[in-house]
Amino acid sequence: MSGGMTETQPITVELFGVPRLLTGKRAVDIAGLTLRDVSAALASACPCLAGPVIDSSTGWLADGYTFVVNERFTRDPGLIIPPESPVLLVSSLAGG
Amino acid sequence: MYGSHGRCLLVDLGSRTSDIVPIPEIVRHRLLGGVGLASYLLYRFCPIGVDPLSPENPLIFTSSPFIGTGITTASKIAIATKSPQTGMIGDSLSSSYLALALKRTGFDGLVITGRAAKPSVLVIDDDRVRYLPAGHLLGLDPAATSNAVRAELGKGFRVAAIGVAGERGVRYASISNDGRLAGRSGTGAVMGGKNLKAVAIRGSTLPAVARPHELASAARELAARSLGAGTAKYREIGTAANVSFFNRMGVLPTRNFQAGRFEDAEAISGETLFLEHRTDKHGCAACTIGCEHHYRTKDSGPAKDVRLEYETLFALGSLCGVGEPNTVLRAASLCNELGIDAISTGATIAWAMECAELGVSLGSAASEIPRFGDADGLLRMIAAIGHRDGIGDVLAEGSRRAAALTGRGSEAWAMHVKGLEMPGYDPRKLRTLALGLAVCTRGACHNRSSAYETDLSEQLQSLESPPVRARAAAASEDQAAVLDSLTLCKFLRHCFDDLFGESAGLYSLVTGHATTGDEIRRAGERINNLKKLFNIREGWTAADDTLPPRAMAESGSEDGLTRHQLQELIAAYYQIRGWDERGIISDEHLNDIGLADLFNLESSKPQQRSLL
Repeated sequence: MSGGMTETQPITVELFGVPRLLTGKRAVDIAGLTLRDVSAALASACPCLAGPVIDSSTGWLADGYTFVVNERFTRDPGLIIPPESPVLLVSSLAGG
Repeated sequence: MYGSHGRCLLVDLGSRTSDIVPIPEIVRHRLLGGVGLASYLLYRFCPIGVDPLSPENPLIFTSSPFIGTGITTASKIAIATKSPQTGMIGDSLSSSYLALALKRTGFDGLVITGRAAKPSVLVIDDDRVRYLPAGHLLGLDPAATSNAVRAELGKGFRVAAIGVAGERGVRYASISNDGRLAGRSGTGAVMGGKNLKAVAIRGSTLPAVARPHELASAARELAARSLGAGTAKYREIGTAANVSFFNRMGVLPTRNFQAGRFEDAEAISGETLFLEHRTDKHGCAACTIGCEHHYRTKDSGPAKDVRLEYETLFALGSLCGVGEPNTVLRAASLCNELGIDAISTGATIAWAMECAELGVSLGSAASEIPRFGDADGLLRMIAAIGHRDGIGDVLAEGSRRAAALTGRGSEAWAMHVKGLEMPGYDPRKLRTLALGLAVCTRGACHNRSSAYETDLSEQLQSLESPPVRARAAAASEDQAAVLDSLTLCKFLRHCFDDLFGESAGLYSLVTGHATTGDEIRRAGERINNLKKLFNIREGWTAADDTLPPRAMAESGSEDGLTRHQLQELIAAYYQIRGWDERGIISDEHLNDIGLADLFNLESSKPQQRSLL
């Protein structure tokens, strides 16, 4: 999945549920290469996410949240995001 | 005896007699309680081949060993009967104080048979049984009925009641208690068929637990975990959060499953409702999670306050093409007042809306049927169903029977499995869920098989082969059966590192019966086999394990299973379950899983079943 990319790229992260309520935004534009970059950039762009959604000490997602990249659920911080891929941030508690 | 009373109360409404029936120790430990015990009592007391709406069909309420012990969320009553929607097992759960009241009566279960000569309230006051006339309660909604009965009886009583839909035999009528619902399977229609408007229960005796101090410590620890990440979604925004995300993923059933995206989804999303309509949050009895989010209408009509979950939102919203939030809230409130299952209500109306779109006449009432998106028409149809007025009399039969009566190909867009309307997940993109819905003993149910979790998780990419996917579906059913039988809330499921092992520990502390995680898992498997055994006895065949045509792959589309793929998955599922290729359970397997010696199976020959 790496594709040999090393440069950061613009990424739009779509927010659902509590992340959307906390930020008041449906989407946030950041730059990054991996999901760990995305997580850190989100915490920086939206400080209200740090704590409840993004663990302040690790900069990575808190338990209970996951990314969805190209319709695949993943909590792999090293995942390199393919260009122009939709990235969603959502509760990992699926369904009802 | 710890954790249970070891007996149930058998009441015949026709003769006004009652009897006490022992529940053998082997049954209690092998089937745990709750839905497991209710399934056992149904198998034992339901005459083979009985009409679900006849007096002989038993209506069964059970408690569980965990109720009243301080274990968080363990306050659910299980209800079982032969479903008037499916003709198979209809098991349902409802939370809160009624479960505690039943547990305190000195009985683990209540089996109601017969039909009262006049509309009645059945009163269980510890081990005393009496009746009140209910003629003056007819037509009242469940909450008003409960208030009236409690005002008449005094403090301490908890009430299960039906609305007018149950009185009139709407096949998907529900039973309500404490503002909660045993929604699916048509238990309220069975109750109405018995001339029973309400059951009032009061008790004073909880059984002792085996190791109270250790249990209290374990319960405190579990309660603390229940406030963590494993329940955050439910506590903070609720299942209504599914709407926007499911819409983005293309799995939000829209216009009778014609699409997976709804253009007005944001207007009825959990986030919008939270900001613009949410009023407060409640929890059930003995629950530390508190998932019950309440919302209020804000249009010019009389204000309505209603508790709302995702399933209600999708069924009365996107499924009917209605994106006006006040209308959806009013529709949800109306379903509660009438006492009908919101999923089956919305799905049956969506079926009728599609008939109207396609010019398929529903008898002489064609002009009555609204089109998709008709908000006023939705409310009008719900009221008509609840009262069985006009075309509502046909729709009160549910989508399967209504389509069979209507014909003209309308069966093709009746979205049900075994007669139970489909929940709010598009199975064309969720293949493990698709299998789970097809084989579920209850019909198209997301609560007896949470197989969607496999599809909506990191597990998805590793589940391409039929046996792996089938094993995941069976495992999710066994997990659900354990939770439903210990009567733990499914919202607690992510709070365990090892559900079966930790449940075994709690079970041992409550009952004094040493058990293991593997034995608890086997109990879940046993309970699912017992439900299947009941269905086989009532005429189930492998042809019942299927999906409606629209839920399958369309020609040229990558979404959805083909018939062949579904059959491959079902065959793998039967094999994993230890059943033969027809889905029949052998005597040897019944013996292996510890069911054979619980019943006299010789008297349980399969029956022919008729739809209408």
